[in-house]
Parts: sequence; structure tokens; C-alpha cells
Amino acid sequence: MIEVKNLTKIYGKKENKFTALSDVSLNIKSKSTVSIIGKSGSGKSTLMHIMSGLDEPTSGSVVIGGKNIFEMSERKIDSFRANEMSFVFQSFFIEANATCLQNVLLPLEIARVSLTKRKQLAIDALEAVELEDKASVKASTLSGGQKQRLAVARAIVNKPSILFADEPTGNLDSVTGDKIMDLIFSLNKKLGCTVILVTHDNDLAKQTDMRIRLKDGKIESIEESKK
Amino acid sequence: MFYVDIIKRALRNLLSAKARTILTALAIAVGTFALTLTLGASNGAQNYAQNIVKTNFDPSELLVAKDTGLFKRQDASRPQLYDPSYGSITTFGGETRQVKMLDTSDIQKLAKIKGVSSAQPGINVSLQYLTKDNTNKYIGTLAPYNPYQNPTLLAGKIPPQLQENTLILPEGFLGSLGFIDAQSAINQTIKLSVLSQATSSMVPGASKSQVTDFKIIAVYKTPNTAISAATSLNLYASLGSVENLNNFIYKGTGNYQKYLEAVVKVTDGTNTTKLNDVENLIKAQGYGVQSVIDTEKTITQIIGVLEGIVTVFGIIAIIASVFGVVNTMYISVLQRTREIGLMKALGMHRKDISRLFRIEAGLIGLLGGIIGSLLAIVGGTGLNPVISSKLGLGDSKLLIFKFSQVGLLIIALIIIGIIAGLLPARKAAHLDPIEALRTE
Repeated sequence: MIEVKNLTKIYGKKENKFTALSDVSLNIKSKSTVSIIGKSGSGKSTLMHIMSGLDEPTSGSVVIGGKNIFEMSERKIDSFRANEMSFVFQSFFIEANATCLQNVLLPLEIARVSLTKRKQLAIDALEAVELEDKASVKASTLSGGQKQRLAVARAIVNKPSILFADEPTGNLDSVTGDKIMDLIFSLNKKLGCTVILVTHDNDLAKQTDMRIRLKDGKIESIEESKK
Repeated sequence: MFYVDIIKRALRNLLSAKARTILTALAIAVGTFALTLTLGASNGAQNYAQNIVKTNFDPSELLVAKDTGLFKRQDASRPQLYDPSYGSITTFGGETRQVKMLDTSDIQKLAKIKGVSSAQPGINVSLQYLTKDNTNKYIGTLAPYNPYQNPTLLAGKIPPQLQENTLILPEGFLGSLGFIDAQSAINQTIKLSVLSQATSSMVPGASKSQVTDFKIIAVYKTPNTAISAATSLNLYASLGSVENLNNFIYKGTGNYQKYLEAVVKVTDGTNTTKLNDVENLIKAQGYGVQSVIDTEKTITQIIGVLEGIVTVFGIIAIIASVFGVVNTMYISVLQRTREIGLMKALGMHRKDISRLFRIEAGLIGLLGGIIGSLLAIVGGTGLNPVISSKLGLGDSKLLIFKFSQVGLLIIALIIIGIIAGLLPARKAAHLDPIEALRTE
């Protein structure tokens, strides 16, 4: 369970003050798929960054598994992110000069997973996104869709409990984008990780269990699909 | 992140920017090259100086002078008072000095000092000329033979005790004295003439000279470690023979049986403690003393100054290259902002990010060190025979490389690289991950 309580984020001071999030509270069930939707500047990315501990709120708390992540030391938040969270970004953020295998190994290196286990975990992740034959290929040679699949493999390799996906289909054509989302949803079912999706795409959002609509930093609506 | 992973990642990053890495490392390599050569030249020069001292001086001997100022530089810029107690007025390189001379009673006194096995006057005789029948007359120096010199002989043998009026001839005189080779000179007689200073000073033009026949018993090879070109032409005879000629030169003058210095041999003098003990005892009696170690120090001091100058240039080159490393690492941080953002998002600690950049900088230092020192070692080793032959060093090498020194130099460069990487590493560690991920 992720409990977001009275989150407020204000950037700047005095006349330059800008409220990105205002008193946002919500609960996200474990293993569910959630979409955060809204126009540009509505606070979607800020909410995602704060929920993942990449940014700190001006006030409020994020409680994951009963722990307020902002009461943890910086080192503990880092370790928590390394072991429990992962990310898929719109711009892939692939290390172009590294091989696909090296890209997927990165989260395992950061999480200090033992050397003996790493390679098998990385190959399993590449198999899950059907890129096992590209393990030793340089990431720069991949197509856009393959790069995003590689990013998904990197995101699932450490078997996270929460996967944050920030506009994962934004740089892909619709067919490839659909394939990536099918992959992410199937991994949600297979691995049982909570998927938090930031998107502009209402059709995509409709496929998630819960839709949080933000407007000007406030929650406009929360919809949940009936199962 | 484990250290091994950070090092692997650092290596991969450096390899992915090969040109930049190599160019930055080359800047360090220039300084390393200069410093490695300096170290090599320093070792070579030290070794050569030791060889010179070893082949020209007996380490168990001390040079003793009555004038304590003889072995020091003196201030010649101010007028010196005339002191009638001084035995002699001497000119040293254009500088006139009064020098207190040793006499036979001093020599006897020195011989009685505890730990001294023998004390002899230190004399070299300047010959008026030396010649063989039907050859030109040549000037030369006759010096007492010290078995420690152990010269390489081209012909003949040196007995344990040299007989009166026998000598060891340098190969440089063979042709001039009409000998076809070294062997043909053995047992031949040459004439040595000395000029009395007494007669020549009292009645100008009426100088009295003495010609003595000397039998050549051995011919020695010109050493490549002679103190100077002139000493490589020294003729050697027994101390008694040299003293006889010396006495003839000075008889009737104030310098008769007076000596600038004495050679004191110390029992077990190769033992530094014993040598120092005797040195102190002699000094306590008011004499000036110089040991072989002092002579070596004087030679190495000059080498040290030259080394210092080259080292300073090398260090300046390395300091300049440090700025290159700082610049390269800053550019690297800027270029890899998104990568840093991603690593932070994935949970990489600040310290590990800082470590990654410091290690990269250290590896550039390592690469520069390896390139520079390898070039210096390969080039220096290749050029060694040419340089040694041009400088007439014989078998001695000008450049001697010690792997321990090169290793320490490379370790120092790694540390310098790491220090150069501190600021860029700090910048990387403190990057805001959100800003970093937004960077285009």
C-alpha cells in the first residue's frame, strides 16, 4: 500500500512562488496499476518524483509499506529505491555505448546483488522483453521500440514492488507503444508489482485499475475500475 | 555499488571516449616522461659518481689537511690578512690563498691516532717532462700508486710492493713515447725530470733539474671513470719514489717536506662508524678532514641541482596536465548528466557517484603514467648506448630505470588524478536527479 498524505510542493519563494502540488492525498493498493493523468504542468511528474523519493515535498508524507520514506536517511531512501522501485522513462535513458546486458545489469550493480546471481537475472529480464538474442549487442544499434523494451527489462530485473513509468510510450509510434504497454501490464500480472503510470493518453489510462486526474496541482478526480 | 563494479564502469566510460581519454592522458604522459627520464638520469649519474669515487678513492681513507678551510668554500670577496704562520701562498683557480701546510711531525701525529693504520703525505709530483730516447718531451704527473685503484692492465704486472724507480704507465703515453703496443713498453726505461723550485726561484734562468730513470712494469687502460681527462694520464710509482722527486723539488724552500694534505688509512675504514670515529678524533686535533663520502656528496650535490631543475619542469608539466584532467572530468559530468540522473533514480548513492568520477580521473592518471614512463624507459634504454658512447661513459649507463621508482611515480600520478577529479566528482554527486533527468 502506498499512502500519500497531504502532499504539497511549492517551488521558489515570494513572488516567484509556484505551487506544483497542493494537499494531495491518495491511497494506492499494492500490485495495482495506476495512471496519473492531466495536462502539462498539472503536477503529474512532480507527484511521481515525490512518491519515488527523488524529490522532497514541502509538506506531507508518502508511506510505503508502513514507512514514511521522508523520515529515512538519504542513504536509506537510495537503498529503498534500488531494491523496491524502478523506472521507465519517455526518453529511454539507455547507455548507448554499453551492451544490452550491461544496461540491464546496472540496477543489480547499484543494489549490490551478488556477482553470481546477476547474469542469470539479467538474461531472465531480457527474455521477458524478448531481447535475449541482443544481450551482447550495443544498445545504440536498437530501434526505438527495442530501446524501450530494454528499459523495461532494466526496470524489472531487480523485481521491484513499484514500477514508475513516465510517459513510456511518448516517443514511440502507436503500434510499438501498445506493445510496450501490453508488456508492462503483463509484467504487472506476472511479477505482481504496482505500476504507476504518468500519461497524457486517456485511452491508455483507461486500461489501469485506478486513474488519478490532476489539475493545477490538485486532485480533480480519482476513478477506480470495477473488477 | 561494489568497488569492482565502479572500476569496471569507470573503465567502460573512459573507453567510450577514447580520444578524449588518450589526449588527457598524453598531457600527463609528457610530465611523466620528463620525470621518468630525470629519475633514470639521476640513478645513472649517482651510479657513475659512485663508480668514479670507487675507482679513484679508497673508502677507508681520509684526506687530512692542516688548513681546515681547504675542504670548504671560502669567502674570497673580502681581503684576507697575511699570517706568517701559514706555510704557503697558493693559487686556486685564480684565487690566492694562504694554506697551512702539514709537516712530518703532523704526519707522525696522525699515524698515532687510535684507529689509524697508516698516514702518508698526499703528494703528486708535477714533472718538468718525461721522455724516452729520441722522443719528444711531455709534461706529466707522477702520483703514488694505491692498490685500491686496481687498474685494468693492458700489459705487465703490479707487485704487492712497488720497487723504487719503477712505474705504471697510462696507455695514453704509449704512442707518444714510441711504443707499438703495451707489451713492448714493459721493462723499458723512460726518463722523468723534475725542476727544483729552490734554484729556479733564487737565480732565474739557472734552474736545477734532476733526471731519473724509471722502469715501466705495467701499462694500464685509460679508465672511463677518471676524475678528469688529465688524471687519466697520471703515471704511478711507489710512495717512496714520488717522495724522492718531491723532496728534490722543494729542498731549500719553505715548502720542503710540507704537504697540503695527508692520506690517512683507517683500520676497518669501510665500516662507516669506525671511519666517523677516526674522522672526529682527527677533527678534534684541529685538522680538516674529508672522507670519500664527502667527496661523493660534493659530486652528487652538483648532480642534485641539475636533477632539481629538470624535476621542477616535469612537475610543472604535471600540474598543467592536472588542469586538463579537471577540465576533461567537468566535460564528462556535463555530457553524462542524464546518466548520472538515471543512476541516482535507480538508487546509486552520492558517494558511489563521486567515487566513479574520482576513479575515472585516477585511471587517466594511471594511463598517463604508464604511457609516459613506458616511452621514457623504451626510448631511454634504446638511446643509452649512443648517449654513453657520446659522453665517453664506457660501460656505464647514463639512464638507469628502477621499477620501484617508476611504480611510485605512477602511484603518485593516480593520486594526483584522483585529486584532480575531486571537484568534478563533487559536482556529479550533488546533481539534482530530477534536473539531470530533464536535461536534453
